[in-house]
Parts: sequence; structure tokens; C-alpha cells
Amino acid sequence: MSKIPFKNDGWSGNTGEYDLTEEQVRGIDFVGERPIGGGHPSVSPSYPYMLEDKNPDASLFEGPYKERFEKILTRYPDKQAALIPALNLAQELRGYISPVTMDEIANLIGLSPAYVRSVSTFYTMYNKQPVGKYLIQVCTNISCNLCGGEDVLDAFLKYTNAELGEISNDGIFTTIEAECLAGCGFPTCVQINSQYFENVTINEVPKIVDYLKSIHEKSSMSQEEEG
Amino acid sequence: MGYPYSHDQEVPIISKYLGDPEARTLEGWKARGGYQALEKALEISPEDVIEIVKDSGLRGRGGAGFPTGLKWSFMPKDKSRPHYLLCNADESEPGTFKDRELIRWVPHLLIEGCLIGAYAIGADHVYIYCRGEFFEATQVLARAVEDAYSAGFIGNNVMGSGKNIDLTVHVGAGAYICGEETGLMNSLEGRRGEPRVKPPFPAAVGAFGMPTTINNVETLCAVPPIVKNGGEWYRQWGTEKSPGTKLFCVSGHVNKPGNYELPLGFPLHKLIYEIAGGIPGDRSLKAVIPGGSSVPILSAQECENCELSYEGVEEAGSMLGCASVIVMDESTDIVHQVMRMAAFYAHESCGQCTPCREGTSWVTQILKRIEDGRGTEEDLTTLIDLTDQMVGTTICVLSDSVAAPVQSSIVKFKDEYVAMVRRGEKLGIT
Ligand SMILES: Cc1cc2nc3c(=O)[nH]c(=O)nc-3n(C[C@H](O)[C@H](O)[C@H](O)COP(=O)(O)O)c2cc1C
Ligand code: SF4
Ligand code: FES
Repeated sequence: MSKIPFKNDGWSGNTGEYDLTEEQVRGIDFVGERPIGGGHPSVSPSYPYMLEDKNPDASLFEGPYKERFEKILTRYPDKQAALIPALNLAQELRGYISPVTMDEIANLIGLSPAYVRSVSTFYTMYNKQPVGKYLIQVCTNISCNLCGGEDVLDAFLKYTNAELGEISNDGIFTTIEAECLAGCGFPTCVQINSQYFENVTINEVPKIVDYLKSIHEKSSMSQEEEG
Repeated sequence: MGYPYSHDQEVPIISKYLGDPEARTLEGWKARGGYQALEKALEISPEDVIEIVKDSGLRGRGGAGFPTGLKWSFMPKDKSRPHYLLCNADESEPGTFKDRELIRWVPHLLIEGCLIGAYAIGADHVYIYCRGEFFEATQVLARAVEDAYSAGFIGNNVMGSGKNIDLTVHVGAGAYICGEETGLMNSLEGRRGEPRVKPPFPAAVGAFGMPTTINNVETLCAVPPIVKNGGEWYRQWGTEKSPGTKLFCVSGHVNKPGNYELPLGFPLHKLIYEIAGGIPGDRSLKAVIPGGSSVPILSAQECENCELSYEGVEEAGSMLGCASVIVMDESTDIVHQVMRMAAFYAHESCGQCTPCREGTSWVTQILKRIEDGRGTEEDLTTLIDLTDQMVGTTICVLSDSVAAPVQSSIVKFKDEYVAMVRRGEKLGIT
């Protein structure tokens, strides 16, 4: 989901005085294709990759993911510190953190299942149940709220035809309200999966939703061809 | 230069290369004078580095404004145990959006600041704790860290100095409270991000039980230019008590929201009307939150002569915090915005302390009730009493952060609360 074929009027890349492309603003060219095995161990706890399609049955952890997990273990003085990076990795693969996932992670790191549950449920980014392919998080905190964040939230609910926090009927969208995303100068700030959409007004909401639908259709068509 | 707008009154020290994609790359960074400060630092003793930072008067940019050089000097000299430097990149204070810009535009400046900091305090390992939502910024940082490792700026024998400094990018998972320094330490260790009771202070018992210093992204970014040019140089800007420059995050009802780097002590009024382009539609100013949502609200009148330094904002009746200036014009529904802020704190309270856990949600409920037109004037007294009990009674200051906007808004915008209550009474709801 790296390239958006349109820029919204207030896109941080083309507001102001900077004549930059979206790739330049986001640093996509600079970052390049990050290795799925995590690259250098120093950055293995960060996200090298965001998968479009999650697999709730993916195993923990195999192949390049195992490599990444093992690199993570080398970065901290004790094993427990790998817990949050490991949960992040599991969510990246599976799309959400189920109680079963929590128990598997507990086993991998050598912590009690109850403890891992208490930690996993503390953090808001762990989806406790499946979410749509596109998780739309609309900031309604103060700076965005002053500039219409609540209306943008309503517009997303309307155009994805879903209730707050529920998966839409077509199975691809979940919209939730988010707390400040540290993009307050670009209100309303919306995070969709790993990407920020900035300066979103209600007029852009249908465009964004249609765009997401179109890339979803493209990806399911190519999957059918392959299958 | 600020991003996405700049202004010729800015003093671009740390923000000079915001909006310049080439500054992200190692080559581009070196061409812009990058890593010269690190080289200089490694040539002098750690004590001398601390001395320079002390001389500069740099104060922590994460909110509390604690003098950075002094904080560094608290670290024990005995190196028999590992020491850590944590960089706080959990930026989640509503209204604050400077650290994300610094990370995504000048990642090498941050890395350089971290390395100088680590050298000064004798840390073997730096952890940059990025908030989980920063996927893009974290990837930019990750790439820069890899490049800096391969160029020999991080790792074994940093720039041939014989020092070994490791640096790890760690990603959180969404929780405002992990920005509190001891909450961040717990989170880094794989625990719930609950703040710890102090003392012991982090310099004695910090991350993994070891001596630790924690600094904000912007603080560490200010270190390389200071080390390169000297403490006196930094003092040419700002005031006696608040030296140097600061990124001001201007958001809300202004024509040109964004980050602007200005000398501390800059007039608030000028920031809104000259730098940030004034208020859209020439509407009038109603209120400003000068330091992120945790500080008291200033009325338009209090903004008139407010000077944006740590002491200046305090004099005006609020706090500079992280200089996140949230501007509200006459169209603003103060009660609704205060309710939204209270709801944020209720959501983010870690729940360890009763006054905070209960207080934040009671305050939110009472404010919702007032907004719905079911409030009474007595509720306003209750809110004041309730928030009084939330100040200074808890492990961390999140609890106090709710009291600030609630109490200040009731005092300064009482009319609006009363009107809301009366409207309900008129409609016969209560
Ligand atoms: C509830 C709470 C949230 C905080 N969030 C942040 C944050 O997101 N980023 C930050 O740098 N400091 C935050 N702080 C301040 C840190 O505790 C700490 O003072 C700061 O990181 C120290 O760095 P400095 O001396 O460079 O400012 C927070 C404090 C509290 C009480
Ligand atoms: S004051 Fe609130 S957030 Fe801070 S430790 Fe206590 S309960 Fe947690
Ligand atoms: S208030 Fe919306 S991103 Fe900060």
C-alpha cells in the first residue's frame, strides 16, 4: 500500500512550500525494500515489513521470521524484553493477537501465559480480535478534533458502511477512533494499516475508501489467477 | 526551517534539513557536516562533553525541562555495571508532532546525538523507543542506523576511539503512559508500561536494573550542534533560564500549522499571528494550550503578553511542556474539547493509582453529563474538588495532567459551562 495515485489537497507533501513527491516525504526510496529477515540485528525489533494479507494460522516463527525473532533475542540483556517485539511480529503475521497466540509466545519466551496476557492486553495496538484488511484509525484528539476529526470519523463509518470497531460487511474495513497520532499539524490524521493519511477532510474520505477497495480487488484478482 | 512551512524569523539549528530528503542518507548527512560533532566529542573526555552541555543550559524537551547536562552528571562513574541511554520517541502528548518529523527527516542527527550522549554518560547500549504507530518514521530510522553501523559510527570501536556503543531501535505497541520515563523502562523490559515509584531514580536503578539516562528525541538532536559550536554559542538565543532554540508545534485553528524552530522566549502572540499565519477567516482567538494537552489553558487575554520560555509561560499561568501550541478560535466548544482531553486521560491511565484510575473516568463522565445538558452548577464544584484530589497524590503526573485543563477551563470559561448547564435546565432535562 505504498503508492497512492492521488494526493489529497492537504497532503503533507504538497502543502506548504515543499515541492516533494509522496515517496520523498515518506522516505520510501531511501528505505528501499527492507529484508523480511529483519536486516541488521540492531533494527530487528522494528518493523521491516507490513504484510497486506494476514494469515491467522501462520506459525510462530518460521523461515525469515524465525531469523528475525532470533536476532531480536540478541539485542537485550534478558529474554523477557523480547516479549513486545515478539508480539508485534506475531500481529504482523496473524493480524491479531488471540489468547492462543499469547500462550504460544509465552512458551517461546519462557514466561507464564497469564503474565503474557496481562502484558498483551495493556497495549492498544494489539488487536484482540480479527479486524478488516484495512484498519482505519481516525484521530479525534484535540488538534484534529478542532479541525473536524469527529466528522471524518463519521464519514469513514458511513462510506465503509460499518459500525465503530466492527468489520464491514464486505470484510475489508474496520474503523476505530484513535488517540493523538503525533500528526497534529496535519489534521485530521488517519492511520490506515502502517500508513498515515494526513490533512484528511470529509471530502477525501470517499476517495480514500474507493482507492482501498480498488487495490483490494486487484490483489484478490491476482490471487485467483495464481490459485 | 520548519515543516511544512518556514518563516524567516526562524533560527534553524536542528530543523535546518527538515524537508530535505538527501539529508536522510549517510552521504548527504556527512556532506552537511554530519558526524563532525561526534568526532569532536570522542576527542575530549566524557566529563568535558557534559561540561559543554551544562554550559549551554540545554533543558529537556520531553516536557519537564530538566537541565540535560545536570541529568547526565548524575550517572555513576563506576563502570563495573552496564549503563544505558534511552531515547524517548514515544511522542504521544496530544498536540505534539516534532519528534516524528525529526526522526523521518534527520535520522542521523538523532543517531549522532544518541552516540554523544552515550559516550558522555558511559553507556554501552542506546535504545531508541519509538511509539508503535511510527511505522514509516521507524523504517527511515532503521535504514539510517544500519548505514551508520556499516560506516563504523555505531558498534565496536566507534570512529576508531576504542569505545563500543550499540544502538537498538525498539518499537512499542501503543500506550501514552510508556512516554513516562519509568513506564518506558518497564515497557522496554517486556512488562506493562506502568510507571515506577521514585526513588530509586533511573540514574541509580533504571532499565534492566542498571544506571540509565532517558532523554527526548529533540533534546538529543540539540546535542551535536552544541558540542560542535560550544555552550556559549547556544546561549546567544533564548533567555537566561531557557537558553537556545525550540521546535514549536503549532496546531488547531491557524492558517499554517506545523513545526517552527524559534528562540525560546519568542512572543506567543507573534507565533500565532506572524509565524503561523493567523487564524482562518479572521476569527478571534479564544484560548491557547501552550504546551500540549497536559497543561493549563490560557485565555486570549493571557496570551497577549505571554513569552514562550519555561519561566515566561509559567508566569502567564501555564507551562511550556513540549511547546505544543494548540490554538482555539471563537468557534471552539471549550467544554467539549476539555471532555475529549479528559476522555483521553481516562483511556490512558495505567490504573495503578486510585485517584487517577477513578478520577479520570469520573471527570469524563461528569463532563459528558454537562455536555448532554444534564449537568448542574454543583457539578462544577465537584469537578474542582475531585481534580484537587488528583494532584500530587499519585505515582506519576498523568493524574495532574487532567486537573490542569479541567480546573483552568472552569475558572477561565465558567460562562460556557454555566450556559451548558442552564440550557439543559431550560429544556427541562435535569
Ligand atoms: C504521562 C507522561 C507522558 C510522557 N510522554 C512523553 C513522551 O511521549 N515523550 C517524551 O519525550 N517525554 C514524555 N514524558 C516525559 C518523560 O517522562 C521524561 O521526562 C523525558 O523523556 C525526559 O527527557 P528530557 O529530559 O530530554 O526531556 C512524559 C511524561 C509523563 C508523566
Ligand atoms: S498517575 Fe495514573 S498513569 Fe500514573 S501511575 Fe498512577 S494510575 Fe498510572
Ligand atoms: S491530535 Fe490528532 S494527531 Fe495529534
